Amino acid sequence: MNLENRKTTSPVGKAVPRIDARPKVTGEAMYVYDMRLPGMLVGKMLRSPHAHAKIVALDTSKAEKLAGVKAVVTAADTPKIKFGSNEYFFPYTVDQLPLEDEKVRYIGDEIAAVAAVDEATAEKALSLIEVQYEVLPAVFDPVAAMKPGAPAIHDKMNNIGVMLPVQYGDADTALKESDYVREDVFILPSAAHCSLEPHVAIGQVETATGRITLWTSTQAPFKVREALAKTLQMEQADIRVIKLNVGGGFGGKLEMLPMDFAACLLSKKAGGLPVKIACSRQEEFCFTRRKHPMIYKLKSGVKSDGTLMAITGEVIADGGAYCSYGPTLIAASIMRIFMVYKIRNFRVFGFRVYTNNPICGAIRGFGGVQSGFAVESHMDMLARGIGMDPVAFRLKNATDPDTVTVNKLVLSTNGLKECIRRAAEASRWQEKYGQGAKSDGDVVRGIGIGVAADVMGSKMYKAHESAGTIIKVEEDASVYVFTGAADIGQGSDTALAQIAAQELGVAYERIRIKAADTESTPFDTGSFASRVTFISGNATKNAAADVKRQILEVVARELKLDQAGLDIRDEEVVRRSDKSVVMSFDKAVGLCYSFDYGHLLIGRGSYNPTTTPIDFRTGEGNISGSYGFEAQIAEVEVDKKTGRVKVLKVTDVHDIGCPINPQSVHGQIEGSILMGVGYTFHENLRLDEGKVLNPSFAKYRIPRSTDKVDIASIFVETKDPQGPFGAKGMGEASLLPTAAALANAIHDAIGVQIKELPITPEKILAALKAQK
Amino acid sequence: MISVTFILNGHKTSVDVPDHELLLETLRERLGLCGTKPGCLEGECGACTVLLDGKNILSCLKLTADVEGAAVTTIEGIAEKGTLHPIQQSFIDEGAVQCGYCTPGMVLAAKALLDEKARPTDEEIQRGLDGNLCRCTGYIKIIEAVRAAAHKKEP
Repeated sequence: MNLENRKTTSPVGKAVPRIDARPKVTGEAMYVYDMRLPGMLVGKMLRSPHAHAKIVALDTSKAEKLAGVKAVVTAADTPKIKFGSNEYFFPYTVDQLPLEDEKVRYIGDEIAAVAAVDEATAEKALSLIEVQYEVLPAVFDPVAAMKPGAPAIHDKMNNIGVMLPVQYGDADTALKESDYVREDVFILPSAAHCSLEPHVAIGQVETATGRITLWTSTQAPFKVREALAKTLQMEQADIRVIKLNVGGGFGGKLEMLPMDFAACLLSKKAGGLPVKIACSRQEEFCFTRRKHPMIYKLKSGVKSDGTLMAITGEVIADGGAYCSYGPTLIAASIMRIFMVYKIRNFRVFGFRVYTNNPICGAIRGFGGVQSGFAVESHMDMLARGIGMDPVAFRLKNATDPDTVTVNKLVLSTNGLKECIRRAAEASRWQEKYGQGAKSDGDVVRGIGIGVAADVMGSKMYKAHESAGTIIKVEEDASVYVFTGAADIGQGSDTALAQIAAQELGVAYERIRIKAADTESTPFDTGSFASRVTFISGNATKNAAADVKRQILEVVARELKLDQAGLDIRDEEVVRRSDKSVVMSFDKAVGLCYSFDYGHLLIGRGSYNPTTTPIDFRTGEGNISGSYGFEAQIAEVEVDKKTGRVKVLKVTDVHDIGCPINPQSVHGQIEGSILMGVGYTFHENLRLDEGKVLNPSFAKYRIPRSTDKVDIASIFVETKDPQGPFGAKGMGEASLLPTAAALANAIHDAIGVQIKELPITPEKILAALKAQK
Repeated sequence: MISVTFILNGHKTSVDVPDHELLLETLRERLGLCGTKPGCLEGECGACTVLLDGKNILSCLKLTADVEGAAVTTIEGIAEKGTLHPIQQSFIDEGAVQCGYCTPGMVLAAKALLDEKARPTDEEIQRGLDGNLCRCTGYIKIIEAVRAAAHKKEP
C-alpha cells in the first residue's frame, strides 16, 4: 500500500475526514437516482384518487396496447400477500398489499404499475388504465375514527391498529397525594422527512434464474429483501438488494415501498429489462411515509419538594391507512419517559388509529419528538406550578446510572444529570432564567430546557438484533471491511472504518469499506434506532479482533513468542510489555501469506445486544443494550408585537459514551437540532380530507441556511462498557427535546406556553391576547 | 430538435436536444454528468445548481436551448488536474458533507459567492446559500467550510 496515505493511526476519537467525502464533493458518488442500465425502462405507479373506495373494476388493456409500454402489473399479477414492518412480534399489524386488490384506503394507495420506454409513455399508459371505484365513507380524524360507527378501514375494532396500555404502581392514589396536579393537552402536527434524494428503485430480473436485483435508496436493505421475498413468494436467496449512496433517509427509507416491489415485478414481466421508478418531489411528500400527528394528553402530580409522584395520560396517534411501524411508534412515544424520569406510578395508554390519511411511519426520533414536546413542556409547567426552577426539578427527578426502571429498562451508564448540570452551566442558566418577566420591552429574551434519552437499537423487529462484519486482509496488507450497515449520510461507514482500524491497530486510510449489499455483506437490520455505531460497531470491532488474533498467531509461531504478549498498534506488531516493535504490520501480513504459512486472513464478528422485547400488555422490556441521554437549553428572543421568535442559541450536552468521530457526532447533533427548530416553528404537513395540501418545498418550509442557529455542542463521555470503545448511538436524541426547550424558553420570555406545534407568530399573539 | 453549442467545464460541447430539454437532463442523461442532482425539478431545493457564466443557476429551470454560447460549469469541472477546488477541500475538512446529495449544488453556489466576493461575512454566506437546501447538517459546518475556503484564498 501507498505509505504516504497511512496517516491516521489510532483513529477513534479523531475527526478524520469521512471515507465518502471526496467522491461526494467531486460529484462522482453514485446514488440510485444516478444509475442507468442498458435497456432501462421508466416505471410509474397508478395511485388511488380516493381516500376510501372499493375497486369495482380494473382494466389495463388499453395501456398494455400503447406503443412503448413494456409491462403493466396489478394485484392479479401478484400472490396478494400482505407486508408490515413490525411483523415478527406484531403479526396483527401486517396489513398492506404491495398492489391493492379490493379496496383503497388513502389518496395514493397503489393499485397498478407500468413500465415504458420513456416517462411520457409511462404517464400516458397510467391515464389509459380504467378503474371503476365505489367510493366509501372515509374518516380523517383519529378521534372520530375511534368512535363506534366510524367507517371501518381494516377489520379492527374502532379502527385501533395498535394499543399499548402502560400501567405501574397506583397512579390515582399518587395523584391524590400530590401537592400540585395539572393536566395538559398537546397537539403535534404531521411532518415530512424531506430527504434531498427522493425514493428511487431499480429492479431487474435475471430471466435465466428468476433472480432479482434491486437497487434502492434504503436504510434497511435486509429488511427490504425480507419484505420482497415474502410478497413475491420467493426465497430471500434469490433476491439481492443493494444500497448505493443514499441522499438522506431520516426514517423515511426504512421499509419496502410498493414501488420497490413493482420495479421487480415489472422487470419480470418486461422480460428482464431493468425498471427504474423514481418519486417526484410531490410523490415524496404525498405517498411515501410521514410523521404521526398526535394528541398527547398528560395529567401528572408533584409534591411541593419537586418529587414527581405520578404521570398519567393518553396518546392518540393518527396512523393513516396502514400500520407501518405502528407498534414501534407508539412504544417510542411512551417508553422514553422511563429512561428520563424516576417514576413508579404511571398510567399512559397509547392508541395508534387507522384513518384514511396518508401512511405514517418512522421518522427520526420515532414518536419521541412528539412525546418530547409534550412531556418536557408539561414537566416545565409542573415545576413552575410549585415554584421550582425547571433545572432543579429535572435534576431531582432524573434517572441515575446503574438502575433498573419500573418497567425493567436496564440503565447502566447514565450521564443525564451531568448533562443537565453542564448545560445549565454552559448556558449560564442561573443568571438568565426568569429574567423575561422583569422586562417591559417589546422584545424579550427567554431560556428553556428540555431533556431526553434514546435507545441504541430496538428489540421490535426480529428475534435477534444482530449485525455482522467480515474483514479481509489481503496479501498487500490492504484491509476491506464488509458490513451490512447502511450509511445513509450519517457517517456510519466512516465510524465503522475507524473502529476497524483502531482495533486492528492500523491506519484509518488502509480501510476500504463495502457495505449494505445483501448478497456480499453480512446481515444487518438497518439504520434506525440510533443503533449502527453501537451494534454494527461492536460487530466490526469483534471482526477486527478476530483477524488481529490470526495475524498475531502467525507472528508468535514464527518468532517463538507468547501470542498473548503481542499486540498490533499504530501499524506495528509490538510487545505488550514494553511496546517494543516486533515487525511492521505489512511484514506480519506478508508472513501470514508466506510459503510456510499460507494463512488467508479473514476475520469475522457479530454482535447481538442483550435485550428483551416490550410486552405490549404492560410496557415491560429492556429494548436496548444501553441508553443515551441529553439535555438541551434554548435561548430565544420574542417580539411581543409581531409574535416572531428568534433562536439565539441552543446548548446541547449529550452523553454519547465516547465520540468515535467528534466531527460527525457534532454534525448529527447540529442537523438534529435544526430539524427540531423546523418542526417547532414551521413544519406541518397539512391535509384536507386525506389530500396533502403543501407537497412542495415552496409550501412546506424546511430550515434554510439563513435559519441556521448557533449551537454549543458538548459531550459527556460515560464510556459505556458495552459500546465499542465506550461509544453510544446518538443519531436521533438531539431532536427530541428541541421543541420543548424552545417552547419553554418562549414561556420564560413572555409567560405563555404554546401547546400546539408549529409555534407560529399568530399563536403567540393569540396567547398573549388571551393572557391579558 | 435543436443544436446547441456551449462551453462545458472549459470544453466546447455540442449537443442536439429537443427544444424543451432541461439543462439538468442534458447534463445527466446525455452527457453523463450525474454530479448535478435532481431534488425537486421545480426550482426550490438547489441540488441541481450549476454555474452559467460564473453565476449559480438552477439547471432544472433552464432549457439547454438557452445556454447557446454560454459557459456552463458543473461540479465535475472545478477540480484542477486532480487537485480539489479549495471549497471542495474545505467541505471535506470541516465535515460539511453528510448524505452528500446537496453537496455539489452547495459547493457551486459557494463558488459563485466567493468568486463575486472573496471574503464574505457569515451573513453573506448564509444568504448566498439560501437557495440550497440541506436536511442533514444544520448548515453550520457548510458555512464554516465556505468561510474556511474564503480564508485560504488570497484576498
